[in-house]
Amino acid sequence: MRRTPKQHEITQLLAEWSDGNQSALDELYPLVYDELHRLARGYMSRERKGHTLQTTALINEAYVRLVDQRNVHWANRSHFFAISAQIMRRILIDHARRYAYAKRGGGAQQVSLDEAAVVTSGIGSELIRLDEALKTLAALDPRRSQVVELRYFGGLNNEEIAGVLNVSENTVTRDWNMARAWLYQQLTESAPN
Amino acid sequence: MTPERWQQISRIFKSAISLDGEARHVYVAEQCGADDSLRSEVEKLIASHKQASAEEFIGGRAAEKGAVLIIDPDEDDAARGRLNEGQQLGSYVVLKRLGAGGMGEVYLARDSRLDRTVALKVLSADVSSDKRRMQRFRQEARVASTLNQPNILTIFEFGEVDGLTFLATEFIDGETLRDYLHGKQLKLPEVLDIAIQILAALDAAHEARIVHRDIKPENVMIRRRDHVVKVLDFGLAKVTEKKSAIATHRESDLEAATEMKTAPGMLMGTINYMSPEQAQAQTVDERSDIWSTGVMLYEMVTGVMPFSGPTTGHTLVQIIDKEPPPLPKAAAAPAELQRIILKAMAKSAEDRYQTAKDMLIDLRNLRKQLDAGPSTTDDTDLGAKKKRVLVIALVAIAVVTAAIFAVNIWRAQSARSAAVVSTVPMSTPVPVPVSNPQRTLTYWITVQQVRDGEQKTYTVRGEINFEHNDQIRLNLRSPQAGCLYVFNEGPRGGSATPEFNIAFPTPTANNGSSRLNAGQEIRIPDQSWLYFDTQQGIERLWLIFAEDALPELEALKRFASPKTGGLITDPEQNKLVENFLLSHSSSKPEVERGDTLTTVKMPGKVLLHPLMLEHH
Repeated sequence: MRRTPKQHEITQLLAEWSDGNQSALDELYPLVYDELHRLARGYMSRERKGHTLQTTALINEAYVRLVDQRNVHWANRSHFFAISAQIMRRILIDHARRYAYAKRGGGAQQVSLDEAAVVTSGIGSELIRLDEALKTLAALDPRRSQVVELRYFGGLNNEEIAGVLNVSENTVTRDWNMARAWLYQQLTESAPN
Repeated sequence: MTPERWQQISRIFKSAISLDGEARHVYVAEQCGADDSLRSEVEKLIASHKQASAEEFIGGRAAEKGAVLIIDPDEDDAARGRLNEGQQLGSYVVLKRLGAGGMGEVYLARDSRLDRTVALKVLSADVSSDKRRMQRFRQEARVASTLNQPNILTIFEFGEVDGLTFLATEFIDGETLRDYLHGKQLKLPEVLDIAIQILAALDAAHEARIVHRDIKPENVMIRRRDHVVKVLDFGLAKVTEKKSAIATHRESDLEAATEMKTAPGMLMGTINYMSPEQAQAQTVDERSDIWSTGVMLYEMVTGVMPFSGPTTGHTLVQIIDKEPPPLPKAAAAPAELQRIILKAMAKSAEDRYQTAKDMLIDLRNLRKQLDAGPSTTDDTDLGAKKKRVLVIALVAIAVVTAAIFAVNIWRAQSARSAAVVSTVPMSTPVPVPVSNPQRTLTYWITVQQVRDGEQKTYTVRGEINFEHNDQIRLNLRSPQAGCLYVFNEGPRGGSATPEFNIAFPTPTANNGSSRLNAGQEIRIPDQSWLYFDTQQGIERLWLIFAEDALPELEALKRFASPKTGGLITDPEQNKLVENFLLSHSSSKPEVERGDTLTTVKMPGKVLLHPLMLEHH
């Protein structure tokens, strides 16, 4: 049996993080990670056929389960989505790496970095490479990287992203175009060969 | 890149993409001034923007795509496309698991509709949820199914059942050239035999303007029984001309290069067969396949790969710059073979064989020179072969002169037809035909039995059990005019390539013609009976009723001699029949059984129906 973290505990952490307390995020992260992961797994075992996962639905469900609706400020929902997008990214990348590792036969032998990049294939490898490129982008242009994270990993639409980042929808669209073109370039240039 | 540079690029990019064509060009040039590197960066990014939006790059949501990764591999067989023995997938029943590839699991399965053995590749969920890889599969199925050549693996069906995507292909009981080689050198006749068959496959593909682009020993199968070579995996194939009948997804060289680099299966160790132009991500054409074949030939002769460095990078450099190590001057590599290999592996495509056919001719000539008594083996093999099971009883018709006469006419008509090749249907779960026309054929069977010294004659609608010495005659008619072909295929085990007898047309029946008028009744055989010998099992009578004459099949009339019961004695021709049947088997005819008649209907221009006669 696992214990569900108390709603008010998470709500409290969320509020603290929104107020700028970074250590609240460290506590919040694993709690949300577990919940999202559990939901995703459950969702996948019920909905095996299509193999689709609606991120926003998932995050909404996690939000309802984790956050005490009565005691939370509206803006906290945006924050929750922002952190959830980050976590979804982490969950997928963790799995992609594990998947690639399992495919190599449990890592019985050491492989060089360049070989590992070649061995991983398909979705897993694409996600891992996208994640790497996104880190590079974050160093150059944090907001554009966040737009991609919110949209691609968090499943938010442009309007929601505009809300989270407190910018106009037009800006989100422009950021997205630039970021996507750049990421595409990075991924096609660095494709494993 | 510095954040300042990034900001600069981003500012120009932002405005540039809202402009079109010339205006965009002018704007970018204006903004960048003399800074060429800035302009090149911006232009590159604009090109990426176009590609990314055309490909809907990261267009969906990561979780939709990557959800499958979240499933525990041990926990969920279904997600990996794993099936159990006896499990049913559409009309296929799984017999056993053959192995796993990069794309999913491969099974030996029985197609219960057509009662034949197939290889069933079930795609793992991470593949089938990946648009790009699915595109590859569709492409492979589409491309390969347009190629009807004995050395190209036949694709039967690409479909989806219960959320599982699968590819059903001809089953080859054999091993890949990679396993076959296993670091050993092959004897010269075998090298030539394999290379000639690969080139025959490539020649057919290239004729259809299809470049394989991934020729390597892993993609060449050698059938255990008869060493027939099959080229597989047209997943990376590219159609070189837009006007070709086969529409490909996208055609840019950028895409081709990206595909080569990112395609699963292009793992370590498989870049060794890439041509210099592939290694440099340049435009690739037919001559790239020639290079790869040259590399394989080299490896077959020497037992080692000509280009193989400690890392991918080293290997690529060798491919681009280094001449292959000279071949040992052994008996296995006569000067002429060396010349052929080196010509195939010329760094510049211009210096290579320009077509697979040219290389094929050189290899065939070499084989001829080396063969003391050319290809007498085939004939002796055939002479030793057992008489076929179902034979036409020799009931008093001398047809030899008529046959000779008829064969001459038929030969004149027997030009190979491309029309037959291009009608291969690609099917969804329950195959749906493309064209509107429908063929209808009605048949019944006259049976003559002798029981307790008494002869009985009666008719049945078809599939019943027969006994030794029962004699039968097939009766057919159609409300439509058309051309009829009937082949008999005797009982066989497993995946052996069958031998066929041609039962219709014959030199005598119907004035030697395959064409029937609407409503015309035809008896097969016309003047005699078919009888069963002692071999038990299922005899198939393949009924083919086409709107127009099928030149490939017309040519087979020359085998319709009562002496041999119409046994087709040429292995090539048997393969041709087999391929024809396989490529037309994807759709299932609608069968209506009356009291004494069976009527078969099938959409399209060619009706194909196996009439099963069980023999006890």
